Amino acid sequence: MAAGNGVSSGAFDVSRRTFLRSAALSGAGALAGREASAASRTNREDQGETMPSYTVPRRAFGKTGEQVSILGVGGFHLGATKDQQEANALVGRAIDCGINFFDNAWEYKEGLAEERLGTALKGKRDQVIVMTKVCTHGRDKSVAMQQLEESLRRLGTDHLDVWQIHEVVYYNDPDLIFRPDGAIEALAQAKQQGKVRWVGFTGHKHPDIHLKMLSHDFPFDTVQMPLNAFDARFRSFQQRVLPEANRRGIAVLGMKSLGGSGEMVTHGAITAEEGLRYAMSLPVATTISGMDSLEVLEQNLALAANFKPMTESERKALEDRVRAWSADGRYELFKTTMKYDGDVGRQQHQFPAAEKLPA
Amino acid sequence: MANSSAAIPMRPFGKHADVKISALGLGGHHIGQAADEKTAIRIVHGAIDGGVTFFDNCWEYHRGKSEAWMGAALKGKRDGVFLMTKVCTHGRDGMLAMQMLEESLTRLGTDHLDLWQIHGVAFENDPELFIRPGGAAEALRKAREQGKVRFVGFTGHKRPEMHLAMLNVGFEWDAVQMPLNPFDSHFLSFEQLVLPELNKRGIAALGMKPIGGNGDMVKKGAITAEQALRYAMSLPVTTTITGMETLEVLEQNLKIAQGFTPLADAEMQKIREQVKQAAGDGRFEPYKTSLKFDNPEARLAHNFPIDEQSVEVKEMLKATQNEGHPWPQVTA
Repeated sequence: MAAGNGVSSGAFDVSRRTFLRSAALSGAGALAGREASAASRTNREDQGETMPSYTVPRRAFGKTGEQVSILGVGGFHLGATKDQQEANALVGRAIDCGINFFDNAWEYKEGLAEERLGTALKGKRDQVIVMTKVCTHGRDKSVAMQQLEESLRRLGTDHLDVWQIHEVVYYNDPDLIFRPDGAIEALAQAKQQGKVRWVGFTGHKHPDIHLKMLSHDFPFDTVQMPLNAFDARFRSFQQRVLPEANRRGIAVLGMKSLGGSGEMVTHGAITAEEGLRYAMSLPVATTISGMDSLEVLEQNLALAANFKPMTESERKALEDRVRAWSADGRYELFKTTMKYDGDVGRQQHQFPAAEKLPA
Repeated sequence: MANSSAAIPMRPFGKHADVKISALGLGGHHIGQAADEKTAIRIVHGAIDGGVTFFDNCWEYHRGKSEAWMGAALKGKRDGVFLMTKVCTHGRDGMLAMQMLEESLTRLGTDHLDLWQIHGVAFENDPELFIRPGGAAEALRKAREQGKVRFVGFTGHKRPEMHLAMLNVGFEWDAVQMPLNPFDSHFLSFEQLVLPELNKRGIAALGMKPIGGNGDMVKKGAITAEQALRYAMSLPVTTTITGMETLEVLEQNLKIAQGFTPLADAEMQKIREQVKQAAGDGRFEPYKTSLKFDNPEARLAHNFPIDEQSVEVKEMLKATQNEGHPWPQVTA
């Protein structure tokens, strides 16, 4: 019995998102070696030292005909940058290095995340694939269309490249989405009106729910799911959903390559580099990673630019190595707890909001 | 006490048809929540007088208080009841299980159990850990051989798939316990997926959480307690275990159980329809969807992070009065 392991030191904040943020930073620490602070790098630049030049490779974006960078910038963490200036620098640097995929969601940071991205993309909008997500959580089409207008305004654009239904994590969500006047009709209408080019959905809970969404044979262009070395052996999206999406030519967007919190890294079960490299080696279009500082971006850029896919036997070896820690889902809390289920969705499903739970 | 002329029906214990137990069972967790030991004893005696023969408990309920109070109440009455308790290895060794068994027997004041069950199968790899060499499966077999327990089984409230995996490890189960209520019939359903398999194999099915464990489904008006209990008792189960921490609750339950006749299929279907919409996302079955009914001891045994800043975890710790640290006596 490993007493004490996992008993929190209190380093993590109650807020899921703050939790993600601090863990992303610990994950960054694990990459080490190049952990110059923003200030010291600025000094180096002042002294004439240039930033390394990277080119992040691209892949086919499903059957859309577009090419997408193998690394995408997560929208929530962009909303967690310390100010707009940092967000501008991060987005600018990412684009300079060939990243062209930017994730977001209507509900991230109550709109701030979309606003940060919109401002940072001024003059660069046409170079990138902009995705955001709609947060009906079971509500009807009109709510979705209203959120779309808000997202477009915040993002400062007249169209989205990808619009996805956010956080399909409750077992009756597919029924609610596909009911008459449900959110699926908004996706079809927005696409037809040219307000969005492609549509999809996202969720982190269970492959069964994703498969139920796909069972309706709606022409989804994209689907987002957690993919990491631990997922391979536990309620596995990789085993059950990925092949189906590939078969249909749907562009797969991987997320949670380090388990969302990075605990798998901070506990030493895997290194950040192994985790990200594993996820990027799967048959996905892109891997979305949260980066709330230039330091984390630089580490990920170096990794993505020099990316060499793991062979199947390398992947298997890693899966075997982490097997004991993946079998009970301890590092995939987005599957095993409600910690990653947002308050807007909880409210719509009449689950108590996090802050209202007695504790 | 309610002591109407009609008795609580007695049902066969799975394939051991010569053994019969009452269709209503008394939950051990709630007995530890009674106002005091005296009240707990009165509840147990009232249940026995009212025709309840099945008594549930668990090594880790209220750190032994539930077993101790039930043991005190059963003095002189042990032979008239069917006594069950659970062992809390949560994937750990069979040796630890044997140690827990001795503690349970001492607290319950008996030299044998009628039923000894693996408590709270809640993790996907629990079946594998159970059956491994040196695992708890060996303890169950040994205890049965030694005559310290008559029958063995397992319990869990999380996922039907895990129950099915436990059923398929190649172990000779006598009983299996699971949550059964109208909401379960629509959501990650034990009724749909596990119950038919138990019936087919002649394994005694023990229902629990007839009103969802915390009664939220009743408090929020989705169903009445009577409807829910009648529904659960009408399923093809051996008994329905429910918590009764006051004499009033006992009284109400006895009234339903004494002279109980199962609901007709059409009535069952009507209740299912009534709860269908609210059942779809599991909001009234928090034991499946959240950590609320999870067990910090099990999480520690699995090296799961216990992030005490998380509200969900705080709630779990509060529910079990656990500080996020393993109990001192569990060191194996």
